[in-house]
Parts: sequence; C-alpha cells; structure tokens
Amino acid sequence: MRRLGKYLEGRKLMAALMILVGGGNAAAQTGGWLLVRNAIDHGIVAGNEHHLAVVVAIYLVVAAAGWVLQAILIRGLATIGQAIVIGLRRDLFDHLTGLSLRYFSQQKAGWIIARLTSDVDAVSDTLSQGMPTLVSNVILLPTAVAALLIADWRLGLISFAVLPPALVLSRWFQRVSHAANIEQRNRIAAVTAQIAESVAGMAIVQAFNRERRFQAEFDELNDANRVQATYVQRIFSTFFPSIEFLGVLAMGIVLYFGAHLYQHGTLTIGTLITAIYLLQLVFQPLQELSDVYGQLQSAGAAMVKIASILDEEPEVRDRPGAKPLPRLAGDLDLDSLVFAYGKEPVLHGVSFRVPPGGCFALVGESGHGKSTLARLIGRHYDPDEGAVRVDGIDVRDVQLRSYRRQLGVVLQDPFLFSGTIASNIRFAKPDATDAEVAQAAAAVGVDRVAARLSGGLEHEVREGGAGLSAGERQLISIARALLADPRILVLDEATSNIDRPTEVLIERALDRLLKGRTSIIIAHRLSTVRRADEILVVEHGRIVQRGTEEELLAQEGQFRRLAHTLDGGEPELLAAG
Amino acid sequence: MPPYVNPVDPPDLGLLPTFVRLLRIWRTQWKMGVFGLSCSFGYTLISIAIPFLIQQAIDYSIDTTHHQHRKPLWPYLAAIAGLAALRFVINFNRRYATARIGVRIEARMRELLYQAYLGYPRAFFDRHATGQVLSRATNDLYPIRYFIGWGLVQGIQSVMMIVAATIVLVLVDARLALYTAVAMPPITVLALRFARRVSPISRQVQARKGDVTESADEAVVGIEMVQAFGREDDIRERFGEKAEGVRSTVLRQAGVEARHLPGLYYLPALSIAAVVFFGGRAVIGGQLTLGQFVLFETLLLQLVWPLEAIGWILDLAQRALASAGRSFAWLEGIEPLPEPERPRHLPEPPAPLGVRFERVAFAYGGEKDVLRDLDLVVEPGEIVAVCGPTGAGKTSLLNLLPRFYDPTEGRVLVGGVDTRDVPIAELRASVALVTQRPILFSVPLRENLTAGREDADWEEVLAACEAAGVDSFGANLPEGYDTLIGERGVNLSGGQRQRVALARALVTGARVVVLDDPLSAVDTFTERRLVARLRPALESRTVLVATQRLSTVEIADRAVVLEDGRIVESGSPSELLRAGGPFSTLFGDEVIAA
Repeated sequence: MRRLGKYLEGRKLMAALMILVGGGNAAAQTGGWLLVRNAIDHGIVAGNEHHLAVVVAIYLVVAAAGWVLQAILIRGLATIGQAIVIGLRRDLFDHLTGLSLRYFSQQKAGWIIARLTSDVDAVSDTLSQGMPTLVSNVILLPTAVAALLIADWRLGLISFAVLPPALVLSRWFQRVSHAANIEQRNRIAAVTAQIAESVAGMAIVQAFNRERRFQAEFDELNDANRVQATYVQRIFSTFFPSIEFLGVLAMGIVLYFGAHLYQHGTLTIGTLITAIYLLQLVFQPLQELSDVYGQLQSAGAAMVKIASILDEEPEVRDRPGAKPLPRLAGDLDLDSLVFAYGKEPVLHGVSFRVPPGGCFALVGESGHGKSTLARLIGRHYDPDEGAVRVDGIDVRDVQLRSYRRQLGVVLQDPFLFSGTIASNIRFAKPDATDAEVAQAAAAVGVDRVAARLSGGLEHEVREGGAGLSAGERQLISIARALLADPRILVLDEATSNIDRPTEVLIERALDRLLKGRTSIIIAHRLSTVRRADEILVVEHGRIVQRGTEEELLAQEGQFRRLAHTLDGGEPELLAAG
Repeated sequence: MPPYVNPVDPPDLGLLPTFVRLLRIWRTQWKMGVFGLSCSFGYTLISIAIPFLIQQAIDYSIDTTHHQHRKPLWPYLAAIAGLAALRFVINFNRRYATARIGVRIEARMRELLYQAYLGYPRAFFDRHATGQVLSRATNDLYPIRYFIGWGLVQGIQSVMMIVAATIVLVLVDARLALYTAVAMPPITVLALRFARRVSPISRQVQARKGDVTESADEAVVGIEMVQAFGREDDIRERFGEKAEGVRSTVLRQAGVEARHLPGLYYLPALSIAAVVFFGGRAVIGGQLTLGQFVLFETLLLQLVWPLEAIGWILDLAQRALASAGRSFAWLEGIEPLPEPERPRHLPEPPAPLGVRFERVAFAYGGEKDVLRDLDLVVEPGEIVAVCGPTGAGKTSLLNLLPRFYDPTEGRVLVGGVDTRDVPIAELRASVALVTQRPILFSVPLRENLTAGREDADWEEVLAACEAAGVDSFGANLPEGYDTLIGERGVNLSGGQRQRVALARALVTGARVVVLDDPLSAVDTFTERRLVARLRPALESRTVLVATQRLSTVEIADRAVVLEDGRIVESGSPSELLRAGGPFSTLFGDEVIAA
C-alpha cells in the first residue's frame, strides 16, 4: 500500500479535503437525528410549534448539505482513486516493456497480462467502489457512536453491550467470506477455462469423439462451482439477518433502560426515541465495512503480485552517461562472444566482422546458437564475455533506443498489431507520411496483397494477423523494416514456413530491403542464404566453417551435409530436377 | 439428399417468450420458490409487527400522558425479542432458499449451453468468436441468476411490504400518511433511473477494461518486435490511451453515482421532516400519540429499501430477459449435426477404407464456392498429398471427411458409404485428424496423446511418439510424459505441438488419416527425419495430407494439385516435377536451387 502513496503526490490536499468532506457527511447524518431529538423535546413535548418549524427547517438544510457533501465525496474519491490506478497501470506497463526478453521467456504471457489487468482492476475496483464505502463508513461509525454518547452517555454505554457480539460476528464474516469468495473465484475460473478450452479446441473434441468426456469434466467443475456458490450464499444469509437481529436486540435494551431513566426523569423522551435511530447508524457501517473487507484483502493480494513485477530489475539498461548513437555506417563487429542462458554457455567465443553494407548468413541446425547471436546483436541480452561493436563503439556504451532504431528485424513468425496494414508498416516509424508508407508497401509487393483485401492498405488486421497467410504477414513485416530504414538488419528465419510462390515474392522483397545495409541472415533455405557475401556455419555455439557457397560446397564438412537438407530434396528428386 | 442447412445465428427471443421459458425453469424449483415466498410473507408481517409493538410499548408503558394506567414494559420487549429471533430464522431461510434457486438455475443454464456447444456444427464456431460463446455461458448468466435467485422474490416481498406498511399508516392517520409519503415516489424514480444509467456505463467500463487487456496482451506477445525497433514509447502511449479510457469511463460512472446515490440516501430525510413537522403538530394537538409518531417514522424508513429495490429489480429483469433471450435463441434455434435416419456402417476393420469425393462442391454459408465439381479417389492404403497455393481449398476439402461440413453438392464416400449415412461417432472414430494449428488440451502430455483412444497400449503410444518425433523431447520434459501442457504447465513450441498432434492421430489407429500441413512449424532438419519415420507408421492407412513443402510431399504415393477449388493435376511427385505443370511451379525452384 505504501507504493500507492506515491501516486497521491500532488493530490494530498485533495485527499485531506475528502476526509473533511467525509466528516461533514457523517456529521450531517448523525446531526440530523440530534435535531430530531431537539424537535421532539423542545417542539413537540413542549408544545412549541414555532420551535418545531425552525428545527425542521434546519434539519432540511442539514440534509441538503449532506446530499451535496456526499456527491462531492463520491466524485472526489473516484478522481483520486483513478489517478492512483492510472499511475500504477502506466508505471507497471512502462516497467514491463523495459524488461528483457529473458523475463518474457521465463514468465508465461498469461501470468504477466493478468498482473496488468485483473490485478490492477482489483486495486481499481477497491479504490473506486470500495473507497467511498470505506471512507464514509470509517468516519461514520465513530461519529455515530459519539452522537449516541452525546445524546445520553448512559444509554450509549448500555447499548454498546451488543457491540462485542456484533464485532465478533463481523470478524467471523470477514474471515470466512473472504476465503469462500477466493475459492468461488477459483472454481468459476476453472469452469471458464474448461469452456474456453473446449470452444477453442472444438474441432479436436468433435473429431476425436471426446464430447462425453468433456461433458463429464465440465459437469464436475460446474457442480463444484454450484456447491461453492451455495456455501457463499449461506454465509451471507447468516450474517446479514444476524446483524439485523442484534440491531433489534440493542433497540430492546435501549427501550428497557431508557424507559427506566425516563421514569426517573433523567432522560427526555426525545433522546430515547432518537437513540433507536442512532443505533441503526452504528450497525449499518458495520455491515458495509464487512462487505468491502474482502475487496480490500483481494486488492492487497493483487498489489503483492504487481510489486513482484515492479521489483524486477531490467537486465539490459543504459549505462549512466550513455550517449545517443550517431547515424551508423554499418560496421558490425562481434568480438569473442560468450553467452549462457543458464549455466551451460550456448556461445563459446564467436567472432566475426561484417563490413558496412556486407551480408553474412548464419546456417546450422536449430538450438546451436544462431538466434542467440541475433538477440545479442539486437542487445536483447548482453554477452557474458566479449562485445558487440557497431562502427567501433560497444553497444553497451550507447543509449539503447538510439541503437535499436537503427536496427531492423524480420522474424520467422512476424507479429502484427491490431490496426490497419498501413499502421503496421508505420509501426517502426510513426511519423512516416502516407506516401512513404505506400512507397514501402509497393517496393516489397504488399500493395498487391492489399489490393485483394477490402480497404487496401487500410484493411483492418485482426489481432496477431489472423486472416492473412504467413507469407503475407511476412511481406508486411518486411515493408515495416524497409520503412524504418535501418542501418543493420537481422533476418531470423524470415523465409521458413512459406509456400514457394510467396517465397519468390519475399526473396525479391528481401533484395530490395538488403540493398546498402549491413545484414545478418539466419536461414534454412539455400536460395535465401545464397545472396550472402559470406556464409558462417554455426555448430554447438561455435563457427565451424566460413566462406562463399562455392568454397563451402567444395570443402568436405558440415555445410555440404546441411546443403543437402537445406533444400529438402530426395536424391532421386534432385536427379529428376 | 438436400444439403443440410442450419441457421447458426438465430435472432434473440422476445421478452414474453423468454419470460415464459424462465418461469418454466423456475417451476422446476417450485417447492423452494414457494418456501421462499412464504418466508417473505412471514418476514413482512414480522417487520410490520415489531414497529407496532414499539408503538404500543411507548404509548402504554413509557409515555403515559394519554393513559392513566401504566402497563409493564417487559412483555412488549419479550415479544419483540421473540419476533426478532423468529425473523432471523425466516430471513435466513428466505435468503438461502432463493439464492439457491438462482445458483441452481445458473448451473443448469450453463450445463445446457455447454452441452449444446459440444454438438454444434463447425459453422457455428466460424460465425461466433470464442469470447462471445464463452461469455454467453459465464458472465451473461449472472443477471439471470440474480433475477431468478433474488429479484423475483425480493420484488414480490417489496410489494408486500409497501402494501402492508401503507395499510397500517393509512389506518393510523390517512392524512398524515399522505403528507409523509412525499419522498417515496421520487425515491422509486431515482432508483430506477440510476439502475438504467449505471448498468450501461458499468458495461462500458468492462469493455474499456477489455481494451486494456487486449492492448496489454498485444504488447506482451509482441514485445520482441517492440524492443527490436525501440518503439517502447509508442506502445506505452497506446496503452496509456486505453488506460485513460478506463479512467474516464470510471469517472463518468462516478458522476452518475454522484448524481443519484446521495439522493437515495438523503431523500428519506424529506419524509422524516414531514413526520416531525406534521406529525409533531398532530401530537401537540392531541390527534396523535408519541408512539404513533415513532411508528410513522419507523415504517417510512422501512419503506425506503423496498422502493429502491423495485427500481433495481426492474432494470435487472430487463437485463436478465435480454440475456436469457439470447441464450434460449441458441439453445432452440441451432441444431446439432443430424445423425442419419437410416444409418449404414463402415466395412468392418481391419479392411482399409478408401475415400472418394464425387462431384463435390462446397461453400461456406452462402459465400462463393470454395470447391467446385471436384472428383478425387483415394485407394485404400494410398497416401495422397494435396498441394496448392494458399486459399486453394485444401483445408476445406479435408474438413469434409470428419463431417465438419457437408458438401453443398455431390457426396463424400468413406469405405464406399456416404459420410452422411454413417453414425457420426463411428465416422469420426475412423478418421483421425491433425489440424493446421495444433490443438492440445491443458492436461498431461500422456492424456493428450491418448485423447483419441483412452485404452491405448502404452507401447503403441510410444511407437507413435517415435514415428511422430515426440520421443525427442517427451521424456526430457520436467515430468516426462506426465508433464502438464499449456498455460498452467509447460508451453511447447509450435513444432513440438504439431508432433504431439500427429502422434495423437497415429495412436487412434484410425483407418483414414487426415493431415492438414502437419509439419509446417517443424524445422527442415527435423522434418526430414520425421518424413522417413512416418512412412512406415502410416502403412496400410488411407492418408490425405495437405502441405506447402516438397519434403512433406515425399511421404505420398501420389500428389494432386488443387487450384481454385478443382484438381488440376495428379500423379507421382517425381512425374509431376518433370511435367512442368502447376506442381513444378509450386515446388520446382526448391529443387532447381540445388
């Protein structure tokens, strides 16, 4: 909760004001009843109609003031609460986007997203719905108790006889209902997960005749949820009528002793009557506070999980005094890189240097370190030993963003954001004009893809690019890289997964993209690799062969074996071709 | 046979038919319903009796200005305590009974919907997003639960309370009752108005929260892209906008609350003031006793909640009916895939089954034909690769075999029998499928593998794993084959998932195997190893495999090329490569390159 305090910065005055307003609101509620007492004793019982009229008028003014104060309180608390929530959400998101890829590969996406959404929502709900209840009742409860004591301290003390059982009951309710609600949420989450999984995988459920099994699993979960929901209802059905019962009991006690005191002439009838109603103002906050207790608990638990992300240190960050990188010529130097994800190094001293505008290809089986090299070049990780230098400058010595903006990446499974095709191309250069976007699209053949779709470049891409083929998505991501106009390019398996006719289009797009830039190509297809000035064969985290295609094919070694499989050709098919 | 037509998006049911259906469901719980209503009646009587006893106590044993004889106080207090205890019991039972009805009906509706989902044709799932289908069986049910489990009985109880309290007040002093009821109509109106305004806004808040989720989801999944281009600032700005959207909607909601809630809270003060002023004058004038004054005050305060509740319940009823109308429309308007009227059976195993497509045309619900006049014969035990550019209709063709769809014209025969004449379960048990995007369930790997045949011999499963290349990673998972797969367990890579799906299909022992681009996410080296191992595992089965890769085509005896919904070429892969036709355009470069 201390973390939340920092978002109050600049709103402390408003928060203090809201506490005052809450106090005013509580005073209006309890004060109203004290006025009623005055009206009974000095108006009705005394037979003074004028006094009665005056007090009733004051009472109405007080009620109107309470009305206004409560309205201010609701708005004010919501404003403060949302300021905290938005601050928290933004900080969390900003922090998260600065964390390294290692964090994202270790934590499940669903887990991270839940922190940003359901956990922040839990805090938000508490602040927007729970807060007004909490603030007004926390103030109202002692105010009502005080008013009861002011009305008559003896009566007040006596009526508090029922407070201990009421407090014990509330405590019980808070404890039990909180645990029960958590279990209820778990069970409904299990039901939801079951339905979601069945619906998403219905093709397989039906194809493998799994309907009955899934129905049985569902019935079990649905039933468990129903049982828990019933249990929760029993707790609620017990608590609220109990408090109601205690309220009547307290009233009976007040009537009994009040009648005595009244008979002895030490208590006015007005006080006796008003005490009955003031008692309700004591019991009502007790119920409402019990109700928000669970919410507070959940918000606390959510905050703990949120904090676990905020406490995560970004692995790759700018050194103090890091300078922005000037526009690069494109000299890329990998110097004796050693890197391990865990204990076992995946790179054992890899070195090579690509001259400005040069194109190197990395080939080798998966899991031997090619993609790790790409990530070190992109500075998603820093090497354990050695250095990545661009134009002779260690990338750790410059501002990360200024470096990455001169870097282009095309991945095997290009990620498209929801939005239009144009906005996806513009992603890497948000200030690009429509003409520039169209030019980039035309240069790599995205214009032809877009022509088939409704809206052309303004066609809405659904999340993740569903509805477009892998090849089409790849073309868009190449246009994106082209528009960014990077000095250094990394293509990681950019042509896998694509049918041959589309691949031809992509190859052409790549030629366009690579021109005049330093590039590293990781590929399985010989046709993609062939354009490189030099081919490096990576095996077990080392470079085992390097040279041009002809040189390597002429050598006995790993490349020849790879070249065979690179094209996936059976010997007889090769002969046939 | 006429093509099977089934509406998959029926219109929502109207208010009245929905209400009738809800009542019908409620009737299954009628005993508990009647019990709840009786409790409500008792609750109302006691809630009127207690203030009445207080009045008697004040008038006859506390303030004795109007009576010479003072009665003892304790009998009144004992009666009040007794009634309060009784009311506790009744109140508990009413709440618990009605809530249980709601919970049961919610569970029942969910069960009906889920059961229906399992039988719905694929066209239904094409038409409706997963989120929509999901929320119909979860969030959409809550208004129904609260309306049935609380609203109905609470509404009736509120009316009883209002009627009873009005009768008592009128009997005591009709004119005063009229004056003091001044705040009551505005309370009802305000409550109803509040309910009407706040529920659409709270739905908007949910929708805005959904936007935040989507934006967060995108950023987290696409983080590599974001960081690679150094675009953190843009994505933060985008996220900030969505977060701002939540904030402004929540603040609008707070605005609506600020305009209504304090009113509901302070409007009763008008009535209290009226009682104090007019009632007070009547007491001074001797027409009213102090006890009656208190009775008025108490009963009026007791009326506030039932009046507010009516406002809430009216709104709740509307939402419940709307959401139930949607659910009933699905339950009644969509039929599962029909079983044949006169079922015929497939030839007994182990005879291999041939597959034949006869003049097949197919279109997705009213759109233009994806397959046209297509003829294809796959001999028993033959492996046929279906090739063609993206969008040629490969997946549509394969989906006809397990009857995910029926052809719009022509027919599909398995083992010489029209698929529409075979009992669905029998057909699907004979056709094993590997979908383009592998679908695995969040259960241990072992259960995923045996999903198609639970009693499979473990040796056979391991053999299938070896053929499909699951053996290379399966045993190395944290808990081997017992490792839980999915979000809550281990996330497998795309290629690994495909291999598990492939092994699962092999385990079934089905005589027809349908593979839709089964190795697209497997790297080329692994693919080559798998193709060699798969061939013997598919021995004596009839196989249709759609693929984009020449290396996968090599598994087949014959390849056919699909273009614009027709088969344009057929023959052995090496023949086709030489022929220089569409097939060699698709794959030629891949070979010539070497």
